Amino acid sequence: MTPVIEVSGLKKTYRGALRTSRITALDGIDFTVGAGEMFGLLGPNGAGKTTTVKILLDLTRATGGQARLAGLPTGNPESRRSVGYLPEGHKIPGYLTARQTLSIFGRMSGMESKDIQRRGIELLEKLRIDKWIDVRVKKYSKGMTQRLGLAIAMLHSPSVLLLDEPTDGVDPVGRREIRDILQDEARKNGTAVLLNSHLLSEIELTCDRVAVLRSGKVVAFGRVEELTRRAETYKFAAAPIDDALVSAFRETGAVVERVNGHMVLSVDSVQHLNALVDTARARGVMLTELSPVRSTLEDVFVDLVRAPEGAPEAPPS
Amino acid sequence: MKVLVANIEDVIREAAARWTLIAYFFLSSIFILIFASAINLDIVDGALAGAKLFGKEVDVRDAISIEKLVLGFESGFSAILYFLCTFLAIFATAHLVPRMQEKGTIDLYLSRPVGRVKLILSRYLAGMLLAGSNVFYLIGSIWLIVMWKTHVVHPRFLLAGAVILFIIAMLMAFAFLIGVITSSTAVSIMTTYGLFFFGVMLVGHERIEAAVSKEWQAAMIKTLYWIVPKTAELGGAVVAFVSAGQAPEKLAQQLTWSPFLTTAAFGVVCLILASWLFTRKEF
Repeated sequence: MTPVIEVSGLKKTYRGALRTSRITALDGIDFTVGAGEMFGLLGPNGAGKTTTVKILLDLTRATGGQARLAGLPTGNPESRRSVGYLPEGHKIPGYLTARQTLSIFGRMSGMESKDIQRRGIELLEKLRIDKWIDVRVKKYSKGMTQRLGLAIAMLHSPSVLLLDEPTDGVDPVGRREIRDILQDEARKNGTAVLLNSHLLSEIELTCDRVAVLRSGKVVAFGRVEELTRRAETYKFAAAPIDDALVSAFRETGAVVERVNGHMVLSVDSVQHLNALVDTARARGVMLTELSPVRSTLEDVFVDLVRAPEGAPEAPPS
Repeated sequence: MKVLVANIEDVIREAAARWTLIAYFFLSSIFILIFASAINLDIVDGALAGAKLFGKEVDVRDAISIEKLVLGFESGFSAILYFLCTFLAIFATAHLVPRMQEKGTIDLYLSRPVGRVKLILSRYLAGMLLAGSNVFYLIGSIWLIVMWKTHVVHPRFLLAGAVILFIIAMLMAFAFLIGVITSSTAVSIMTTYGLFFFGVMLVGHERIEAAVSKEWQAAMIKTLYWIVPKTAELGGAVVAFVSAGQAPEKLAQQLTWSPFLTTAAFGVVCLILASWLFTRKEF
């Protein structure tokens, strides 16, 4: 997968007004996002998510490390030709209509009027605000403004989308629609999507990989299913499950929990698990399901954020 | 070019939506209407035989040459227009940078593949176009009214607009600089008006230098005089320019390159500084 967003050793320190105090917003983070990938950037407030995105867009400058977009250093305005950005709490001028907004920002992206018109209408239809095309933005609801913001970001068919809370203020149906549109962009057009959101369930549903930031450092990184898999914990569904079987499992040192007719087993290793399966089969038990137990991304996130500072920086696996 | 067109569209639409454009041209139109209805001239054989100002008879004892009258009239009027156009222009454009720098808006502009210098200069040119259209409207309308009422064509009056646009351009550069630094429309307007009056005050710099007790104070006044736009001299230059050889000697003396060059240098430095600071600014 060709990396279109490359962040390496990125550092950012903010200085206080009198230059006496220093705040480290980013402390040497690294990640890459490939073409067609959906990547989630997570972290509590002040973790450095927005700073990362701002450095990618040259809205603010790194004090160390490098960031590249589509192979170009982020200080080069040309790097933004391939980028669409939806900032959090964006303020689209209320005096403009959607058509005028798209015309102004499309031209600033170097688009021709006819392309702006064609692509703009196509996007507004997809985002279901095409009927409002000639209404001033100040009349829009928050969700509609958010949809228009997304249309502005996607107008010039960028190869990278940087989205800060893209579904903020959008109703559940709209959220699903936006999710589908973004997944379409990634899969069909190979657009790399970097999603910065607090809605973890959404990140879990949408993103291929995530990075969790905390105090300017990446504390967890990987595929969502890797991060959410609980180590050596399995769901064991079989018939019959009786006390004798539970006792037999416990005798091997496994931690057994009976939940709604099945068992949740915590074992030492895969070999241990296989030994338990052999025990069950020897007793004539019919196995119907054996699968790893996963946490939600929210559980993982909360664990990471609550862990004391200086705890090992690794996925909770 | 597309960036410039986009900025012009944005600036004009914002001016229209925020009533700035309407107020800008409405005030100018009122001024033009008052001017058109206030003056009634009675011209006989190319000379002024009688005149009414705001409906009142004006004592015209000797028949005055209408050309001379128009010249004197337009010269005096150009001074009023110099102040009016400059003040309206600063009021109508001082928000251009602070509004763009608002949180949530600046991200939308800077995430485009446009260099920051190009962005701020496009906005500056868009502001100049807005101010220029008003100067053209005011000066052009008054010129047409005078022509209609007197049948005298005096194109030098139109050229006064160029000098007025020049001072607007320089003061707008200063307003942009303040806008970049403070992100405040109110501060941009106040400081630019303050600079205008400070420039007027410094026309008497020689007398102030003589009045201060310490040498360094006199040196400072002199330095400031050379730095600050020569707003008084340029006002005088507009009048002298319009009246050509008919201007009083004192005014004619002001029609030199020096105030233009030093004011241009001030404006260019302000614009370069505004662009540089905007480029370095973190949002």
